[in-house]
Amino acid sequence: MKPNNFKISLALVFLIALLFTSSLALAASHTISMTAETLPNGQFAYKMSNHTSSDGATNNYPAGATIPGPTLFVKAGDTVSISLTNNTSVKVGLNVPGLSTDSSEASPGQSKTFSFTASKQGTYPYFDDGSQLLGLFGAIIVDKTDGSVQSLVEDEGAITAVKRSDLKKEFVMFMVGSTFWGTEIKNGTQTPLWTNPTLGAVKDDAVRFHVLSVGPGHTFHLHAHRWPDETDFAGMNVDPNMIDVKLMPAGNASHSFTVRAGTGVGAGHWQYHCHLVSHMESGMAGKFHVVDKNSGETGNSIAGASPSGAIFGNASNEPGLVTFEVSDEPGSWFRSARADTIFSITKSTKSLEIIPPGSSVHFIMSDTNGVHTITSLLWPSDADDPVHGDHYTMPFTQTKAYRGGGIVKLDVPGLYVFTCKIHPYMFAGVIVDDPNTEGLDLGESIDLVTGVKGLPTSSDLATRLVRTFFVATSQNNWLDYTSSAPWHANYASVPVRITGGAVANLKDVLEARYGQDVTLPALFNPTTPGVGEVWINTQFEKTAGKTKPGTITVLDATNWTLKRKIALPSINMNNPHNIWSNKDQSIVYQTQWFDTKLTMINRENGALLHNIQVGDTPSHVMTLPSTDDITVAINGENGVVRIPAGTTKPDVMMPTQGPGQTPANPHGHWITPDGRIVTPNINTSDVGIYDSNDGSIIARQKTGGVFPSAPHPIAIGVGIDKIYATNLLDHSINVISFDGTLLKTIALLADYDPISPTGPDTLKDRDGDGLVTAGVLPIQTPVDPSGRVVVTANTGGTITIIDTKLDKVVAMLPCDPGCHGVNFGAKQGGGYYAYVTSKFSNQLIVVDVDLENPANSSIAGRISLVAGAGVPSDDTVSSLAGMGGQGIYAIPNIYNGWVQNLPDSWKANLTAAQMNPVQ
Amino acid sequence: MKPKLDMSCFMGKLLGSQSRIAQLPGKPQYMQAMLVIALFFSVLTGAQAQSTGAATGKLHQIELVAEKLDGGYFAYRMKQHVVSATNGANEQNVTSRYPDYATIPGPTIVIDEGDEVDLTLIHQFDPDAPGEDQVSVHVHGVHYDILSDGTLKYINMVKDESAVPAMVYEYKWHAAAGTAGTWAYHDHNMINHNGAEDKGLFGALIVNKKSGSVDINLQGQRKAAPLSSIQKDYVLYMLDDTFAGTEIDSITGQQTYLGPNPAFTAQQGTNVRFHVIALGTNLHTFKLAGYGWIDPGTNAVIGEKAMGPLEKHVFTVQAGISTVYRDTAFSSNLLGMKGNFNVHPQ
Repeated sequence: MKPNNFKISLALVFLIALLFTSSLALAASHTISMTAETLPNGQFAYKMSNHTSSDGATNNYPAGATIPGPTLFVKAGDTVSISLTNNTSVKVGLNVPGLSTDSSEASPGQSKTFSFTASKQGTYPYFDDGSQLLGLFGAIIVDKTDGSVQSLVEDEGAITAVKRSDLKKEFVMFMVGSTFWGTEIKNGTQTPLWTNPTLGAVKDDAVRFHVLSVGPGHTFHLHAHRWPDETDFAGMNVDPNMIDVKLMPAGNASHSFTVRAGTGVGAGHWQYHCHLVSHMESGMAGKFHVVDKNSGETGNSIAGASPSGAIFGNASNEPGLVTFEVSDEPGSWFRSARADTIFSITKSTKSLEIIPPGSSVHFIMSDTNGVHTITSLLWPSDADDPVHGDHYTMPFTQTKAYRGGGIVKLDVPGLYVFTCKIHPYMFAGVIVDDPNTEGLDLGESIDLVTGVKGLPTSSDLATRLVRTFFVATSQNNWLDYTSSAPWHANYASVPVRITGGAVANLKDVLEARYGQDVTLPALFNPTTPGVGEVWINTQFEKTAGKTKPGTITVLDATNWTLKRKIALPSINMNNPHNIWSNKDQSIVYQTQWFDTKLTMINRENGALLHNIQVGDTPSHVMTLPSTDDITVAINGENGVVRIPAGTTKPDVMMPTQGPGQTPANPHGHWITPDGRIVTPNINTSDVGIYDSNDGSIIARQKTGGVFPSAPHPIAIGVGIDKIYATNLLDHSINVISFDGTLLKTIALLADYDPISPTGPDTLKDRDGDGLVTAGVLPIQTPVDPSGRVVVTANTGGTITIIDTKLDKVVAMLPCDPGCHGVNFGAKQGGGYYAYVTSKFSNQLIVVDVDLENPANSSIAGRISLVAGAGVPSDDTVSSLAGMGGQGIYAIPNIYNGWVQNLPDSWKANLTAAQMNPVQ
Repeated sequence: MKPKLDMSCFMGKLLGSQSRIAQLPGKPQYMQAMLVIALFFSVLTGAQAQSTGAATGKLHQIELVAEKLDGGYFAYRMKQHVVSATNGANEQNVTSRYPDYATIPGPTIVIDEGDEVDLTLIHQFDPDAPGEDQVSVHVHGVHYDILSDGTLKYINMVKDESAVPAMVYEYKWHAAAGTAGTWAYHDHNMINHNGAEDKGLFGALIVNKKSGSVDINLQGQRKAAPLSSIQKDYVLYMLDDTFAGTEIDSITGQQTYLGPNPAFTAQQGTNVRFHVIALGTNLHTFKLAGYGWIDPGTNAVIGEKAMGPLEKHVFTVQAGISTVYRDTAFSSNLLGMKGNFNVHPQ
């Protein structure tokens, strides 16, 4: 090194040292003690215990735990040390991306210290990585050392520099799920404003907003105000980019800006909201109330519903909030954040909450990889009344499935049930109970999403729905065929107030109407073997090696023994829902319905081949008989994805609707032998018929017809020249020609009286066909390969048989609650078995289909889906053994169009008639 | 199979919006009479909005019609656009710049910083369907008072600021200094308090800067180019499953409706300006392959932009190569959400 350079280097070192010491002299050090707490509704929150700063500047923090957590104001260069004591039952950390790299967590009851330097000006979310969506988040605001903050734009366009001391108020607004969580900071005092608050300000006050987010993305919009996008535009010598909407990308994000309240626009209630349509529709909005200086109005903010407010078991004068976590967990799809408390009351479901009128229900998609809607299934008849209720928010729903959450205030007492349009067995129940009446209010009458109005809560349909809710949402209410004990359904033993003000015990009513301790039928094997294998999605079975539920159970149809359990722990296979295979039957295709993936599996050994992203919430998979291309219905979106045969990547999504139209959300599609893709479009209430060659729409036929609205077409069967479409909520089947013409509507509840209280005449031959049949909530409905018989699985616990020559129900067989999947397989020596699964039991029902006389079809066998010790598996079953039967698929594929393409080795096991089913 | 887009599905032209009304017996006279009465009342009750600030710009008197199209779409149509001095002098009728049918996106309203807009909205479809009896215009960015927010009383606590079948609604905007930029306008009141922006009721307002310049990327540097150098403006709405756009001849102001995933054309070497606005539920990344442009409000040259609903992104490029614009999001890509930018040699 040359002497000259050495001198310069020395000088530089000296200068740097000087700068370093001077910055040390300016920087403050903050010593902070915080705790993580559990709030009365089961959500979590951070709480400030103590904050000392070497420069003496701290805030007046709220006394309790709040969401958002305490807002930490520091200056660039300050050092921060936070000692976090975890008073919750889960591990809690404190991540600060951009400032801290410490991702460790404190165990329950333990403390942990997080230290970092606030090196750069900015607004930073701090949060626990895991429970952030349940409330563990807050803001750290690092301001410049000179006290300057974001500039604002005046009414005549001038840009005004602002010091923090100029601000009259600051608002921290976290966008989480579909809810804003707010805090106000005024004169150094922090006040929690909770959910979707009304933010108050006096006109022309300088007000700074700190918008932050954790979880799915958002855009923030404030009406009638605008602000510069960048803070450093002056330094860059550019004109500011004026905006009034700002993207909060998924993950975590922040954006701070300053406005002069009402400048150029005046006083008023100006809405702020997320501008994602689904988030707007799920309640993500509030008001910025700007008052004129001399108006007599205070400009004070008004807090929204809070986790510490009035809910069942937590008396308070403030409006309360119960929270449901949206989850991929079987039964607990909407799980109360205080699930254990709720369970101890209901002894069964974790999906029921109770609030007084005026409190709110909050949903957060915190434990799911899928997209969902939060949709009113039923509600008290007055809840959408413009005078007594709120017809702007009830019934509650969203046009498109999405990631986020939901929030809705409920004023009218009575029973509310929410579901997901995409996964229509997800249920959340809320009883809004007027504390001044005896018993929990179920209300005089309820309205249903199907357009049924004023249904008495004493009716059979109402109590049947309540019973369905308790069975579907309670793992301990599912039917275990490996147990010798009778089936016992657990109901909440609580007094409820129903039609006419009558008060009765809910458990007693349900037991009196629907029985209790039912002896389950014995399992037995069919006497005639089947051909090949049956692959069953035991979608709820839990295994030890993964967090998500679901296995594939492979049954050897030649001897009725279980061949294999496939859980795929290496990819955390999530809710496997529906299956198909390639034409040589060597690769099995598996959808993950609460996720984004299609999985390819080696049929012979059950090994994972590929796990492919296909889109949000793929439901059904099927091949094109002509090309063997794979088609996957993207249930959470607006199309059917194609994966060309032999490849592992989707190359196109065929839209199921026109551009910009409401997404169809296709569920259980089928394909005609000539290659027309037929989809049941659950969100647009129609059957779509599409040309698989060019993706064009051939026809879209409205479905349903029994009830006024929301028929919810969900599955398709294709016969020789007819399409059968089940309507889940319309309890009907539409028969449609291949060109989309409606031929007939088969009402499955023609023999049922929904209105009267349960009695001997609830079900009787009302349509005069000499038979008493009922198909409540029909789902899968395939036509046998010869086109003779349709077998329909009805969630209400029946199997109905349709003779396609008559297109009417000719027989009814018993099934289990949650009866769901049907597919045909070959019977040895000729004919077909229909294999039927049920979500809420662990047996497979084998129906011997009588092609000569469909009315004589009968149950040929009942087979346990619980694996014994010797059954090969890639994981260990931990709970819900054999439960959750949904998609089902027999190998070889014997449907017309596919059976002809089988390799010779598979054809060898089939009869001539089976190889050419349509004569 | 591949995505197939029906180009006609986005426009009212083929559906005969005028004849639709004529098909309802007695309706035209009734509608016209009610319109006259409504206009009269709105004059009598005075301007709901007080104009704010000293106006130095022009006055735009606009009559916008909201219509229902087949396929569940709704759309705005320009009925009349008259530009004048703020005192009404020097009236110039520019209605012929617009398509004479309802379009998605709706008409692009191009004004200058300092201008005022007096917009009369006319509800012109059969209101029998539930929730379709109100429609509004809520605009972003510019100044207006609480009566021109275009929201329901449920939100603004004053009144339902909607056009209804028997009554127009008048909105007053002031593109005050500091509001230059491109802003969305959309319905906020149909069906419920969120409106039907996702059913086609949206359009763009372009407020050109008083300074008369735009930023352009020249060899990686931000340079000012005169606004007058822009030959074409492209309004490109980025919906959840498709783009929808309009091309504007910036010299004549003539607007050409191009529909879903439009192909834009430019003369090589000329300056053209993109106005990208997102709308819907999805987040996007907009990309114009082979081009770099100035990220507004910065000196950075970028080649793609992450955007969310109702964000706008405006940039000017000098047309060089023909290329493709697209949204790179997973499903958008599979749905073929892209379009051509065709550059022709001079």
